[in-house]
Amino acid sequence: MNQATDPFDNHDDYLWSGLGDAPADVRRLEALLSTLRSQRPAPEVADIAPLASLPAHAPWRAWAVAATLALAIAAPWMARRVVPVATHWTVAWTDGASAPGESRLRVGASLDTGLRQARLAVGDIGTVDLAPGTRIRLVDAGATRHRLALDRGRMEAVIWAPPGQFLVETPSAVAVDLGCRYTLEVSESGAGVLHVTAGWVGFAHRGRRALVPAGAMASTRPGAGPGTPYLDDASRGVVAALEVIDFGSDRGEARAAALAEVLAAAREADALTLWHLLARVDARERGLVFDRFAHLVPPPPGVSRAGIVNGDPRMLDAWWNVLGLGDTADWREWTSPWSSETPGGTR
Amino acid sequence: MNDLTHPDETATPALDVQIVAAAARGDRVAFGRLYDRFAPMVHGVVLARVHRAHVDDLVHDVFLQAMRRLSSLRDLSSFGPWLAAIARNRARDHYRRDMPTVDVPDDLAGLAHHDTEALEALAAIRRLPEAYRETLVLRLVEGLTGPEIADRTGLTHGSVRVNLHRGMALLRASLGITAPARPARPRPGTNSRPDHEPGD
Repeated sequence: MNQATDPFDNHDDYLWSGLGDAPADVRRLEALLSTLRSQRPAPEVADIAPLASLPAHAPWRAWAVAATLALAIAAPWMARRVVPVATHWTVAWTDGASAPGESRLRVGASLDTGLRQARLAVGDIGTVDLAPGTRIRLVDAGATRHRLALDRGRMEAVIWAPPGQFLVETPSAVAVDLGCRYTLEVSESGAGVLHVTAGWVGFAHRGRRALVPAGAMASTRPGAGPGTPYLDDASRGVVAALEVIDFGSDRGEARAAALAEVLAAAREADALTLWHLLARVDARERGLVFDRFAHLVPPPPGVSRAGIVNGDPRMLDAWWNVLGLGDTADWREWTSPWSSETPGGTR
Repeated sequence: MNDLTHPDETATPALDVQIVAAAARGDRVAFGRLYDRFAPMVHGVVLARVHRAHVDDLVHDVFLQAMRRLSSLRDLSSFGPWLAAIARNRARDHYRRDMPTVDVPDDLAGLAHHDTEALEALAAIRRLPEAYRETLVLRLVEGLTGPEIADRTGLTHGSVRVNLHRGMALLRASLGITAPARPARPRPGTNSRPDHEPGD
């Protein structure tokens, strides 16, 4: 073998084994470059905290990264814990007008806050703050699943469990925590509004699903289920137009005008809305949505207008995968257990 | 039952298989051990391709994907190469999603001289052919030895040796470093150069 090109030259033995005499230049490069090693500490629960202060209007790709990161950080830590089986949650009144101390809310029991406000400890996976005028019922407080029914009022949940362990029934949809912080408000009529401020929430009713990231909202109506998610800085006109599309009975001019308004106002950041709309409109309307969507976010190779108009699920998946919102395989795994959730008549 | 509670940097591939099997059954302690053992490899694979600012996020992303898909891994002994493939794909995917790789930050002036030199060295490595790039990052940044690189990535010992040697030669040329004078060859029987590759 030519000695000049012998890859096993002795003076590079240190490169191979890390033993023996180190060439000065290699040692210098090691010293320099070792500073680029990951400084991220091992997954700890404390690392979840910054997500709570995630700016609500951060770029939507950053939401996805943050959510994925939250799940990545939380999952190994959460999975190592021994989760005790609970039969109740603790309730603490937080309005300062009540005597200090905690109460227990047992499975099957209801709580009406009246004029007061309260904080529920959801096992050891999070908290739920209840506003005055809120009525809830504890449906399940198991080792791996917590479920409450929000009949009316307003709640804010902060959950650090792995995806799918905390569910909230409303009269018209079930909210499934995917590692996040959110508020949920239900009116006397059973209509609801979800607003996610960190991470993601899945919103489902009889197979109709919405994936809602931080900085986005979604409405729900009895008999219809969750509507199309929209960013929380969407104009009133766009929100009203989505109401017509999602929940309106008009199939004519009013609906066409509503869709036109949504498409005209859509920005690249509204890809989340446009992608969900593809599953909520008819074939003719889907073509219009495709054209606007493709203008803002070019579809990846293999995704065609005809395929999308025909509702090809593989093409829909492929387009979602280029939005920077996570991989459909992961979402499907996380969401499949609850995709057919229904409120279950818990009022 | 194996003790899975204390990371062992010298774990053998056989123990790796047991840890992978435990993780695939949902043993999260085992998954934590895999993380401890393979995170430097994943970090190096991604750092060789993606801007440093995005690397830590992508490393967690890679492990999240791996955790979710571990049950689909048929040959548990190939966990390392499988994980490396996920990392390479994730890095390429990130690059494809209009996140251009930037070799050095714009605000070099605001960095300490030492940091500037490190980033310039990293930039020089990134300009090398891909095969050399990844191996050199694993060796010089992550501090893995040749046998460890082979063990984690599934590359053969010979490939790693060649990549290290030729990559280092190219890196020296790129940085204007003169190759060090060759030391005298060791006498037969000394252990400064193993007769057999470690792990063979």
